[in-house]
Amino acid sequence: MIPDWMKEDDNYVSPKDGGTFVIKTIKSLAHLMARIKVQKGHEKKRSMPVLLKLILTLLAILTIAISKESLSLMAIGAVLLLYLATWPGEDIASCLKGAVIAALFTALVMTPAMLMNPAGIRNNLSLVLRVFLSVTCLNIFNHTSQWNHISLAMRKLHIPRIFIFTLDMTLKYIVLLGNLIEDLLTSMSLRMVGKNTKKYGSLGGVMGVTFVRGNELNQMMYEAMQCRGFTGDYNQF
Amino acid sequence: MHIPENYLSPTTCVLMATAMLPVWAHAVKKVNEELPREKIPMLGVGAAYSFLGMMFNVPLVGGTTGHAVGGTLIAMLFGPNAACIAVSIALLLQALIFGDGGVLAFGANCFNMAFVLPYAGYGIYKLIMKFVAKRHEKGLDLAGQKASLNLSQKSGLNLSQKASLDLSQKSGLDADKKSVSRKVEYLAAGIGSYIAINLAAFCAAVEFGIQPLLFKDSLGNAIYCPYDLSVSIPAMMIPHLLVAGLVEAAFTVAVYAFVCKTSPDLTFSKIDLAKKSKKSYIPVYALVAVLIAASPLGLLASGTAWGEWGADEIAETSYAGSSLNYTPSGLENGWSLESLMPDYTLGSLNEAFAYILSAIIGVSILIIAFKLFAIPMKGKKNYDS
Amino acid sequence: MKLCSAGASLGTIISFSGVFMSIIELKDINFSYGPSEERVIKSLSLSIERGECILLEGPNGSGKSTLFRILNGLSLPDSGTYYFDSRLIDKKYLKSERDAKVFHKEIGYLFQNPDIMLFCASVYDEIGFGPRQMGLDDVEVDKRVRDLLKTFDIEKLADKAPYHLSGGQKKKIAFAAVMALNPKAYILDEPFAGLDRESCEMIGRLIKNLKLMGKTIIIASHDESDIGELADRRLNIVELMQD
Repeated sequence: MIPDWMKEDDNYVSPKDGGTFVIKTIKSLAHLMARIKVQKGHEKKRSMPVLLKLILTLLAILTIAISKESLSLMAIGAVLLLYLATWPGEDIASCLKGAVIAALFTALVMTPAMLMNPAGIRNNLSLVLRVFLSVTCLNIFNHTSQWNHISLAMRKLHIPRIFIFTLDMTLKYIVLLGNLIEDLLTSMSLRMVGKNTKKYGSLGGVMGVTFVRGNELNQMMYEAMQCRGFTGDYNQF
Repeated sequence: MHIPENYLSPTTCVLMATAMLPVWAHAVKKVNEELPREKIPMLGVGAAYSFLGMMFNVPLVGGTTGHAVGGTLIAMLFGPNAACIAVSIALLLQALIFGDGGVLAFGANCFNMAFVLPYAGYGIYKLIMKFVAKRHEKGLDLAGQKASLNLSQKSGLNLSQKASLDLSQKSGLDADKKSVSRKVEYLAAGIGSYIAINLAAFCAAVEFGIQPLLFKDSLGNAIYCPYDLSVSIPAMMIPHLLVAGLVEAAFTVAVYAFVCKTSPDLTFSKIDLAKKSKKSYIPVYALVAVLIAASPLGLLASGTAWGEWGADEIAETSYAGSSLNYTPSGLENGWSLESLMPDYTLGSLNEAFAYILSAIIGVSILIIAFKLFAIPMKGKKNYDS
Repeated sequence: MKLCSAGASLGTIISFSGVFMSIIELKDINFSYGPSEERVIKSLSLSIERGECILLEGPNGSGKSTLFRILNGLSLPDSGTYYFDSRLIDKKYLKSERDAKVFHKEIGYLFQNPDIMLFCASVYDEIGFGPRQMGLDDVEVDKRVRDLLKTFDIEKLADKAPYHLSGGQKKKIAFAAVMALNPKAYILDEPFAGLDRESCEMIGRLIKNLKLMGKTIIIASHDESDIGELADRRLNIVELMQD
């Protein structure tokens, strides 16, 4: 019943392989899942309504984009930082991390322009500042809002139901399919014990299976919806 | 590829978002026509799939990896109209969750990645497939005729033997046709996605590049993206032509090939190709026309010829030149197109023509390349089988 | 990377000397999914001898799957030590790509849900994935795959797409894919769940044979009737943890 070659140990030595794409993808997916699933956000209890917050955030970002005076930028920055200062350290760190990275990246992109045209340095630096402020704004919104509340907020904005339904579905499937991809990659990494000569084949396999599974899940969900009396009118959601 | 916040002026952002409105409306209308009711939740799957696809690290040489956008792939799996909506939602979530791409720049990002990319990629894929199919049919007919001719010439065979041989010959041809057409299909998918992502990158480059031209402060210094077209186009296009395009093509072909091998009936492209209905390519043609027309923008911005991007020249022409033009007379700032024009003589008008011509030449070369590529597929191989 | 004879004899000496040592040695393992979360595993100690067959019991949510993740190096414990085959499995060890791969080859993990293990275009490729990774030549890979297809009596499925098959068939393919690596130790998470009687008996016979061959096996199962007489020891995960 059991093949002969299983009777002995292989004494296996692994060859070198530059395949880090699996680990990198698992990491970025884990980051995403943490972002969506773990609602560790700050100020959950005494947070203002999500809709109001969304509008305020968008307004703030717009103001940052159109303000020509560095004074008004400074004013916005002052308000944001003052508000952040009331938060616990951990929350501040996770909020500012992305903003600092984005600002540094912008500064890097702007360096050649600043060298070529010193007269424009002022504007370029203000651009860096604006990037920093916008990302901070968005991060604050993200950090204090639960994801399912955002679609609730949009419902109040009278955005077509079908759009909100799709958005809800998207969030649901991001979690479901994201977990599937993560699991597939994990089990793949357990069996990737040597040199993977067909990296693109493996990649195609993971995303291909995910597509097929997404189709199946969708089919099953629609059938379940029908069993629960769904008539085909997406406005009832 | 994701345009961050504040690189584009709010005016540009509003403009791009407005440009997307009819596209979205068209896509929603088409999806409602194309997809049966039970497939509507599929849009959510498509958006999630697109979102997750953008997170995937695609292996490159050595241990390095890159990210794909996957717009063409989504279009081939879910259909271009569904892809437009799906990628838009994915981009919206990315902007909101990750700050990947600005919230205000959402319209511009959608234009590049949810409109240009999927429609162009799918359009190119389908054009190649149709073209090859036509060629292939002709070639096969020829081969079939020859084979039966050969057979009838052989006198030693009785009728039944002949019939069975004929059959086997035919099935052999069919199998051959299948494997060849599969390879062609993957190649078409690869070419489509490669060109499409480069088109999208080009659009992004143009959006970046017109910023310093249109939005300056009173001193003539750029308020938003400071790089004009002479910098933004090579800065965007070189990495995309060399790396990102290949990543996109590899990702598209790898996933598409897997789905085709195992569940071909699930992909939109298979259903679409089987229908053989007359489809309009208006979005694609419109896109090509816009791109050709837009190419002289490079001229307006820098005054240098296509391909001459010396750093010193950029400093000289655009910055030194413009700062001379805009010295403190605070009134002249802002809309600077007209004040730029006097600099250009008849010579530059010719240059504009040169731009349009080179764009037309480029497009023609692509079409010719497709046609040349299709020649070996005419079915020569079938004589042997 | 070859399975040369010199290496094999060296291996026998090592494994022979290792007979008196436990293959899995967990000491005071603590684990939680985040700094503010409750501990899922609380000072757990466990020692498993080479060739033993362990039945791991415990109610839902008692940390069995977490323990399996730790045993496979997918999660690192917050504190405590884990020795596999006399090697300390820690962050440093797993960081070395080649060491980690050898470790993964030697401990096979059958996930509870076979769906997440199948990502190849055909059953043949799925089972051949591991051996191909190991750099075996095509003949050897083909032999391994054919042997396993025969072992599981699924030769007819070789060219099918794995995820289009039934639950029981998927489970068999996933098991075969793990066995193709020829690991020293097997971790089987609910190997009988969702299988019909006949398939259960077949998997049971297979586990028995693996045990006879000296492989170490850890099984989590709620269905005791299938595993009852196979297990050398029954362990309850709740009792392994001391608060």
